[in-house]
Amino acid sequence: MTSQMIWRKTEFVLSILLVGCAILATRFYLVDVPVWHFVAGGTGLDPATLHLAGEFVESNLGTALESDHSFTVRMIAQQYVFVPQCIVVPVGVPVRFRITSADSVHNLGFSGTTYNLKAMPGVVDQASFSFPQAGDFPLPCHEFCGPGHYTMRAELKVVSRAQFSSLRPGERRTCESN
Amino acid sequence: MAFCLVLPLMLRGDSPASPPNPQPAIRIPSYVAWTEQTITLASHGDAFRGLLISRRCSHCHGSEGFSGEPFIPNLAGVDRLSLWKQLEDFRSGKRSSRAMQPIAASLSMQDSADVAAYYSMLPTSPDPQDNRAFPQAVTNSSGSEIGLRLISRGDGRRGIPPCQSCHGPVGYVKGAPALGNQNGRYLLSQLKAFSDGSRANDINMPMRSIARQLTDEEKSALAECYGEGLGPAASSPGTR
Repeated sequence: MTSQMIWRKTEFVLSILLVGCAILATRFYLVDVPVWHFVAGGTGLDPATLHLAGEFVESNLGTALESDHSFTVRMIAQQYVFVPQCIVVPVGVPVRFRITSADSVHNLGFSGTTYNLKAMPGVVDQASFSFPQAGDFPLPCHEFCGPGHYTMRAELKVVSRAQFSSLRPGERRTCESN
Repeated sequence: MAFCLVLPLMLRGDSPASPPNPQPAIRIPSYVAWTEQTITLASHGDAFRGLLISRRCSHCHGSEGFSGEPFIPNLAGVDRLSLWKQLEDFRSGKRSSRAMQPIAASLSMQDSADVAAYYSMLPTSPDPQDNRAFPQAVTNSSGSEIGLRLISRGDGRRGIPPCQSCHGPVGYVKGAPALGNQNGRYLLSQLKAFSDGSRANDINMPMRSIARQLTDEEKSALAECYGEGLGPAASSPGTR
């Protein structure tokens, strides 16, 4: 084995180690958070004061009927529960999801679909999804967020549009109030 | 290279605005928010001043922070931030208690921090060299299987995280006290209060979401497990 080959192998191992360390450091120090924050257009939302004022106070969470007759679901992800933990949405209608995080990075994954939403502290992530079938679906967390990560999951109930006929604009709906 | 630098700027979207809509009346669970300022205030209490103030507390909570009554919480070794938050919530009326609200109302924010500093420093288990009495500090681990499973593994199907991932010793979350030396009957009453909403001072509702899903059997099992003490490992808080 020539010295050149040994050097190549060392180089290979070193580069793998370096990439591995970079990945670990990203997760440990959350260095991607400020980058995402910048890319998503930081809203100046303070994750420590979500419950005091603004869009994510606990009385405003859940499914809302907007004045333009569209549906919006507002959620908070935190260690290690999504709030509200069980949400109801109408079938076949685009539903806007708005989610933020109160601590670390989480990811709301919609099982059985390709949808997912990254929840980051200080950023509101928004997307519109529609669900063609009625039923119950689990929404697990798809981003390692700590020792309780593997139990972190919410539930989605897709129900008929008629069940939302009584929902008023100032009202919020979760599974409990359904 | 230049493109790489400009790419984030191109990707940068405008912050998505919330559509205009009447909001329901705001319900605030607790006026405490874990900002840098609050954490500094709550974690820099003077334990000696706390000792003097705590004379008022020892009638119910015990002189060593271990209460003689099973429905009154033990305060020995409970971390500063959780103690301070509960005192503040009693003061603002966000957590209701006929006994605690008037007492908390007589304390200033600094007093609460001092009392919290004192109780967080009290030992949670007897030292062989120590001849003081620790009435409630039991350290035999014979909890039921249901309780131990919830504490160590949680229930992923229902989205119930393991208790120890926030209440220690595996992980700590600000405002979540260590439960290893807590009184069982007190814990049971709090779990019930969280599940029926009569206690609603948890920020962003983690405990209300979890307790709502627990069955009565599971609540009693948890109270029994923690009430019996999970051993010295589980009762030593990580952050003081």
